[in-house]
Amino acid sequence: MKEETPIIEIKNLSKWYGDFQVLDDITTTINRGECVVICGPSGSGKSTLLRCINGLEDFQKGDVIVDGVSIKEISHTKEIYKLRSRIGMVFQHFELYPHMTALENVTLAPKKVFKIPEKEAEKRGMELLEKVGLREHAHKKPGELSGGQQQRVGIARALAMNADIIMFDEPTSALDPEMIRDVLEVMVDLAKGGMTMLVVTHEMGFAKAVADKIIFMDEGRIIEQEDVETFFKNPKSDRAKEFIDRILVHI
Amino acid sequence: MAYQFDWSIIWSEPYFRWLIIGLIKTIEIGLLSWIIALPLGIGIGTLRSLPNKACRAIGAIYVEFFRNIPLLVQLFFWYYAIPPLLGTRISRLPNLEWYCAIFGLGIYTASRVAEHVRSGFNSVPIGQRFAALSTGLSQFQMFRYVIIPYGFRIMIPPLTTEFLTIFKNSALAMTIGILELSGISWRINEYTFHGFEATTAAIGGYLIIGLTIIFLMGQLEKRLRVPGLMRRE
Ligand SMILES: Nc1ncnc2c1ncn2[C@@H]1O[C@H](COP(=O)(O)OP(=O)(O)O)[C@@H](O)[C@H]1O
Ligand SMILES: [Mg+2]
Repeated sequence: MKEETPIIEIKNLSKWYGDFQVLDDITTTINRGECVVICGPSGSGKSTLLRCINGLEDFQKGDVIVDGVSIKEISHTKEIYKLRSRIGMVFQHFELYPHMTALENVTLAPKKVFKIPEKEAEKRGMELLEKVGLREHAHKKPGELSGGQQQRVGIARALAMNADIIMFDEPTSALDPEMIRDVLEVMVDLAKGGMTMLVVTHEMGFAKAVADKIIFMDEGRIIEQEDVETFFKNPKSDRAKEFIDRILVHI
Repeated sequence: MAYQFDWSIIWSEPYFRWLIIGLIKTIEIGLLSWIIALPLGIGIGTLRSLPNKACRAIGAIYVEFFRNIPLLVQLFFWYYAIPPLLGTRISRLPNLEWYCAIFGLGIYTASRVAEHVRSGFNSVPIGQRFAALSTGLSQFQMFRYVIIPYGFRIMIPPLTTEFLTIFKNSALAMTIGILELSGISWRINEYTFHGFEATTAAIGGYLIIGLTIIFLMGQLEKRLRVPGLMRRE
């Protein structure tokens, strides 16, 4: 069903913080329209990997190619700004701008980066807030919204630049259980709508429902990358087995 | 012999007029030196927050230099040590002490303002930078629309304290011969031996200034209040 056009190619990516190696020879490909879930223990380098993909962090070895563009080559040029606008990002702690309303959070980048006129940006912003079920909260500040609502604003903000790819970094880990569903619903809709998604999460229900591929990381390395069924039924490594047992018990 | 209180001193001429003039001078020194301290401090504090190492070093040297020398010594330095080196045109300038006090207090306070500015920017979570940059904003736009407005709100309470302090520190100007509020109360004591009443009047003056500032800054803070950011109920 899905055409296999690579949109993100990670090639032998390694990164160190001083002497400490956070990412160790990461190689993988994400195709257009795929939803790829990344899981693994805390500290295994998942967030760092996402930040390397849109050039928020430097890396020492290897490269990331996004739609044919080498991040290594453009990471210290103005080109990186344009590239980042094509990759939306959603954060564990939402990271909404607290001094702006929900609508302003969503429209800031379209207005400043694409110079879209205020009225038009707001119209589009309202549509996006509608899409995540928050039209009536558009003029509230993040501090007046619940965690789940904030995260949905975060998703609307990531969508506002008409990105080709959206990366989620543990989008539901900071949420109360009853709010997780609202956020996951929005994400499932996106995945079904054909958005390319890279999702760091331990929500295995989400993975089973929509993921095309699951990547298991530990200590900066990719230990397994499989389709979801194979990963859960026959994990190859002991570490993945342990990990699956632990999170499945937790669920 | 018991001390004879005579509160009428405060209201009688010329002492009442002196006190008013002193109060106005205190307000002037405080405001004018704040006009130096705030922009300079914001500039230095911003230098200290930039990625460029040279900028950070310049900022650090400024702050450590001015913050670690007693203000009194700095005022003496600007008033007694520097002008003679600059020739008679400067050293015989009328009101030289006035300029020295405002300049000295301003650039000293700038070093303290700079520290609050830096720590304000530092307390903006790193995730805010990631969020802003991830949407395609440039480094400059990120500062302009996210880091500065967010950090500025964090800075308001410590900067209010600094603004209050500049009026209190302005009392040191009497040591280089300015008859501001403290200097005046000291002089009234010399003329009348009613130091208790004179200093009480000065205390009243400082309280009026201080409470006014607290009220005004409270209003500003209320206007800029961000839910969940500044918890000062
Ligand atoms: N700025 C940094 N400096 C030094 N070490 C860091 C930094 N950021 C993350 N690390 C370390 O890198 C490792 C991977 O972090 P991270 O990518 O956040 O892992 P994960 O998201 O999988 O929990 C952790 O051990 C973490 O302590
Ligand atoms: Mg993480």
